Amino acid sequence: MQDLEMRHLESPKVGWDYQKATARLTSLVRRGAFFSNYVIAFTIILTLNFVLPRMMPGDPLQAIYGEEALLAMTPQLETELIARLSLDQSMSQQFVAYILALASGDLGHSYYYNQQVLAVILDFLPWTLLLTGTALVISTLLGFVLGIESGYRRGRRLDKTLLAGLMFLNGFPDFFMGIVLLLVFGVVFGMVPLSGALTPYSGLEGFPLVLDILHHLLAPLAALVLVRVTSAYLLTRNTMITTLKENFVLTARAKGCSEGQIKYRHAGRNSLLPVVTATGLMIPHMITGALFVEIVFSYPGVGWLLYNSLLTRDYPLIQGILLMVTLAVLVTNLLVDLLYSKLDPRVSHAR
Amino acid sequence: MHVDVWHEVAESSVGKAGLLLIGLMVTLAVFAPALTPYTPRENTDAPAFSRPSEEHWLGTNDARQDIWTQLLYGARTSLSVGFGVAILSAFISVLIGGTAAIFGGVYDRFWMRVVDATIAIPDVIVIILVAAYLRPNVLLMILLLSTLYWPGGARVIRAQTLTLKERMHVSAARTFGAGWSHLLFRHIIPDLGPILVATMIQDARRAVFMEAGLSFLGISDPSVMSWGKMMQYARVFTYLEVWKWWLLPTGIALSITLIGLSFTGFALESALDPRLRGKVKGHEGGI
Repeated sequence: MQDLEMRHLESPKVGWDYQKATARLTSLVRRGAFFSNYVIAFTIILTLNFVLPRMMPGDPLQAIYGEEALLAMTPQLETELIARLSLDQSMSQQFVAYILALASGDLGHSYYYNQQVLAVILDFLPWTLLLTGTALVISTLLGFVLGIESGYRRGRRLDKTLLAGLMFLNGFPDFFMGIVLLLVFGVVFGMVPLSGALTPYSGLEGFPLVLDILHHLLAPLAALVLVRVTSAYLLTRNTMITTLKENFVLTARAKGCSEGQIKYRHAGRNSLLPVVTATGLMIPHMITGALFVEIVFSYPGVGWLLYNSLLTRDYPLIQGILLMVTLAVLVTNLLVDLLYSKLDPRVSHAR
Repeated sequence: MHVDVWHEVAESSVGKAGLLLIGLMVTLAVFAPALTPYTPRENTDAPAFSRPSEEHWLGTNDARQDIWTQLLYGARTSLSVGFGVAILSAFISVLIGGTAAIFGGVYDRFWMRVVDATIAIPDVIVIILVAAYLRPNVLLMILLLSTLYWPGGARVIRAQTLTLKERMHVSAARTFGAGWSHLLFRHIIPDLGPILVATMIQDARRAVFMEAGLSFLGISDPSVMSWGKMMQYARVFTYLEVWKWWLLPTGIALSITLIGLSFTGFALESALDPRLRGKVKGHEGGI
């Protein structure tokens, strides 16, 4: 491989370049292989979604729709559902029907909410986006700044305190951190509301409404940030430690740059790239963390919806939520991977 | 430069704290029956929601069960799942990562493709989905979590085996006609030690977290005593004072276990990463 690269450098720059063409072809094949990972992963989830309810003992209709649906079940509805899911046909035909329905955006019908699954999820989605989005931004920024300060003072007291403290916080499961904050600031001090995303029937509008939403957001957001800030922090700190050994930092010192300039303009800036990518890779953890935190605070997002659908055994809704979250996670990972090789040419060449 | 990784972990303060916390939890779990006169499901004579006392160190819950006892037996579940997943997924990682590196070729490419695809799957979501239908008990949970956690380890083990297999003693064994299993178990695995333990600790940590999370969501086998489940029950009674000796201690026990594992893992990983390692005593290295 190395040999090939060397020859590639030496080859003349005119005419049709055989090495260049093969290199481009291999990179295309690699990109395809790399894309196929996501396709395979998504197919596995789809298959699980399809197979699990049909594998359960008893009536597949009950396993697919849950007990809630059976209360409303009439013979007429039953035949309609069987026809819709092609349950009277072979497994492969059922699978085709299932994929076709999904492709047209039909995630099924939730009998608990008596609504299309997709519509229910879209109702709850904005709150989750608000929570995970703000948590992601704040924890990355905070982790970046703390990481730079800590890595710069490696081995000194501030570094040791931050390292131990943040590692300790990271040990808490998100839902327990949520419970602790809820108990301390909600129950004992009464500073934050105990549940919900806004005060119901308050009739607030404009700025007071924004304040009310922020007031409700505060505790769940703090829980997520406290637990999740550590990964951005540790990564920045580690990169900072290696970057500080580089020659350009020495040059900056020799030029007489101030500490702040060295920290942020020279070393910090060069530590930014891995942190940006890690932020993308953190999104799945952030989403799953938010699922648990929402439950604790009864925050009306997708996580709380999932918890309720687990309690009521609303299987179409459970499947729909998990499918949507998987799709979101896979698409973000794919984008981050693509963005990473764009940002850092070494990555696409080094493979 | 030879580095004694184990020594370095035991020397660092983070590593010491981690090992101490894990040791504490293992002791509680192993000696659970000796540390309490009750069984976790036994309805005691004390009234429901009684405060901590000499008979009941952490009081009783709504069903007059002793909370301290439940905490001890919860440790057993958490640690069994953690250790079970660590061992099983490490075994699969070594078997697949190791053989992929030794055999190479199509076999290697096939398994690395499986590894890449599995790593792309958001694990928490698949676990919740499967658990929602199957309500797993401890054994099923170990199997389920190991199926999703082995690929990360396999990738690391493969990379390490690729360098190890070029070493003199492995080539020597090869010239004597050693088969792959002999090479793997006699010559490669002993040298994988620290890296293998680092992945095991990470897997254990994720497994303990996931077991608690699933029980907290109420989708594990109802007959299993678990910290996650205790927290799910206790959460309902936050309007009473009982959370102080029911909800908090349970969450703290879970956090101690997770923190112990992540501290030990962090110490081990810093000792393994030459860029992060501090100056090694007695040997400066380099020129």
